[in-house]
Amino acid sequence: MAPTRAFATRLASAAATTTTKSTRSPLTTTACLRDSTSRRAYHSYDHPPPPGAFNTAERQILSAAYRHVPEHGFTHKALSLGARDAGYLDISTNVVPEGPFSLIKYHLVSKREALAPRCAEIFNAPVGGAADGATADAAAGARGQLLTVPERVERLTWERLLANQDVIHRWQEALAVMAQPSRVPASLHELALLADEIHHLAGDVAVDPSWYTKRASLSTIYASSELYMTNDRSAGFEDTRTFLRRRLDETGSLAGALGSIGQWVGFTASAGLNVLRSKGARI
Amino acid sequence: MAARSCLRASPILSTAVAHGLSAPPFSPDILHLHPPTEPRRPISASRMVSPRKKKTERVAGVFHSVAESYDRMNDLMSFGWHRIWKDHFVSSLNPGASSSNPPKPQRILDIAGGTGDIAFRMLHNAHVLNSNPDVHVTISDINTSMLSVGKSRSEALPASQQMALSFLPADATALPDAIADSSIDLYTVAFGIRNFSNIPAALREAYRVLKPGGVFACLEFSKVGNPLLNAAYKRWSFSGIPMIGQLVAGDRDSYQYLVESIERFPSQEAFRDMIVDAGFVVGGDGYENLTGGIAAIHKGMKPLKPSS
Repeated sequence: MAPTRAFATRLASAAATTTTKSTRSPLTTTACLRDSTSRRAYHSYDHPPPPGAFNTAERQILSAAYRHVPEHGFTHKALSLGARDAGYLDISTNVVPEGPFSLIKYHLVSKREALAPRCAEIFNAPVGGAADGATADAAAGARGQLLTVPERVERLTWERLLANQDVIHRWQEALAVMAQPSRVPASLHELALLADEIHHLAGDVAVDPSWYTKRASLSTIYASSELYMTNDRSAGFEDTRTFLRRRLDETGSLAGALGSIGQWVGFTASAGLNVLRSKGARI
Repeated sequence: MAARSCLRASPILSTAVAHGLSAPPFSPDILHLHPPTEPRRPISASRMVSPRKKKTERVAGVFHSVAESYDRMNDLMSFGWHRIWKDHFVSSLNPGASSSNPPKPQRILDIAGGTGDIAFRMLHNAHVLNSNPDVHVTISDINTSMLSVGKSRSEALPASQQMALSFLPADATALPDAIADSSIDLYTVAFGIRNFSNIPAALREAYRVLKPGGVFACLEFSKVGNPLLNAAYKRWSFSGIPMIGQLVAGDRDSYQYLVESIERFPSQEAFRDMIVDAGFVVGGDGYENLTGGIAAIHKGMKPLKPSS
């Protein structure tokens, strides 16, 4: 449990930038999750907000370059055009340490950070049906309770997938870059951060070993859904959504089955033990 | 003063230049050595601040005697890896790349680049790979003998590339007026900066001559992170390299100086902080390790607005 806590804290600090931002809006301060407030308090009292993944100059160039991605892909050309747009020289792209991979990382980081405000929007918005005329807080609570954690995980994962739609036609190239051996650790780290962010935003507070299995399975599901999405031509990526739901359901039923098996094994073992004891075995 | 102890290859380059562009003529600028005529003594500040004139004379005096062994020495000492480092350095900088059509001109200043190793690679990258003929490279070195080596090597380049080259004897810590403020796109220094007597002053000069948005790039030996690799590397550099120097170049002291100067050079992080202190912006860690940290590339960009 201790390492889990430590890890959770680290991951929470990674998300702290967005959390700090969210204090601006009274709506989001209610937060979509119960532990969100304590998380923010913890960070504001004990830790200065961590520096973002990119410094100002990098952010200027990358955000300008990102606008060229739909046309030019995650390439040096897009970076170069972005540097020009931001008022820099062609050679200034050298300040972005990993070139096109940094552009991919910028996409991953910015879309992950955008999830927290989006989460607040989805789950906290006073929706007519859910709200009973009370305050936004009550509506949020009511709506939050309507959805189970797995449902919220599904919804957030889908939101994150949708954030890819502008660059989805270039995403296979990006995946190829991310799969290069020297890039794999950074890519997997980003995937782990995303899986944790989704579970955290979904309000999952389990700190047992399922902490790991949940995140591992969500990572796998997210990665495969993303791959599926690159070839999805259906309107509004409906096929991807059904694909995502099937995968999540499978995991759910698998987890259920494993849980049942575990329960059965445990029960049988203790029953067997008791039978032996009743026969006089000194156990 | 930029006390670069150097004595390098002689103008025996008719064979070297025959390599042409695909394999740029290699020059031994990994080595910036003190003259072997001087008796060996512990590295001290006095050597670094010895008058430049005297040093130049010393270098000229020994210039021819040890020249031929350098190409061989660099390959032997680094197992040929220095070529890969230099190729990677230049291709990661990607000089000449431009998003506009026709491509924008670029001015590059290659400091301590006397023999043209880096400059010729950059010209190739800009003119041939990026089809940008408006890239001009100024090779600068404190040592005029080194520049003459570069000059004779450059005669093997295509005429268009020769036109885009110029040579400038200059002290990197006080660049002459010929290089105006904010006039350079890219400032490079490969295996030279550790021999500067005043590195912060050289960084400030680099900051001065670079355009806002211009890039400072440095390829230099650095610290090895992996303890196992470090043990092997230290053993090699303190025993192997001076021995090879003695056997091949007949000059143990110079190579002893080489490895000691590498040992004295600050770590990746410390050097990165020096670059930041000079006013540059660095991205990410600010450096890239090559071969486990035996060498490292540092890059810094002059910001558009100076930070107060």
